[in-house]
Amino acid sequence: MSLQAKLQQASSEFQNLQADLSKVIEARQRLEAQLSENELVKKEFATLAPENTVYKLIGPVLVKQDQAEAKSNVDTRLDFIRSEIRRVEGQIKEIESKQEKKKAELAQIQTALQQASSSTPPSAPITV
Amino acid sequence: MSQPQTINVTDLDIAQLSEVRKQLEDELNHLTNSFAQLKQAQAKFKACLENVKEVKPENKNKTILVPLTNSLYVPGKLSDPEHVIVDVGTGYYVKKTRPQAVKHYTDKVEYIRKNVDSLEDTIQKKRDNMNYLTNILQQKIQAETQNGPSARSQ
Repeated sequence: MSLQAKLQQASSEFQNLQADLSKVIEARQRLEAQLSENELVKKEFATLAPENTVYKLIGPVLVKQDQAEAKSNVDTRLDFIRSEIRRVEGQIKEIESKQEKKKAELAQIQTALQQASSSTPPSAPITV
Repeated sequence: MSQPQTINVTDLDIAQLSEVRKQLEDELNHLTNSFAQLKQAQAKFKACLENVKEVKPENKNKTILVPLTNSLYVPGKLSDPEHVIVDVGTGYYVKKTRPQAVKHYTDKVEYIRKNVDSLEDTIQKKRDNMNYLTNILQQKIQAETQNGPSARSQ
């Protein structure tokens, strides 16, 4: 019975890890989308001539902005997004390794459970 | 779940096959969704292209209705037919001349078209995989029902 409880606990922990993993993977995908959007803007800025005025949308208002300032702004944003991606990738790896460990633990408990149920006579039924 | 990629699908049993099939189905759904979104974006850019072409010197000083909201318009005059302001993403807008804007939108449409094409390829490949898998699954189920549930086809 304690094996059963252990199994249940381990599997719920495993499920939690899975939920965490899908959450960080979602964050990773969002960052990727932001990265590609900012890279497109950077590419666009690179082709600008001096007479192309740049505006920034602040709330509902378009505000004139210096081209150089806009460019450096996008660059800092790109740097930030890249470092965020590195951080999130680290998280993903960490959770994945935890998940692997849990999986091994689960397998261990399961085999122990099987051995226990095959060695005990059928008079002691195990309800799952 | 973490089967090596080189495993032969004919070696899997029915439960595993349907699991793989479900995964493929999810992927396919996601891809077709993205496909529809890309098509939508492309249509939007094409509409912009059409609209930019209407901002031409012949229409200078003609009265237009400017939408303030979806349902509120004010009359205005087109005073500068040479420049438009283009949304380049992440909240930045750039003032461009008409030819520049046309080029910008044509490039965008082209960029999306490339993505759509490669996505179409991927979707087709996934569909092929899916059909192949479904065939095998059906064969297995048939074999199972004919030979009784105890006899597993090798």
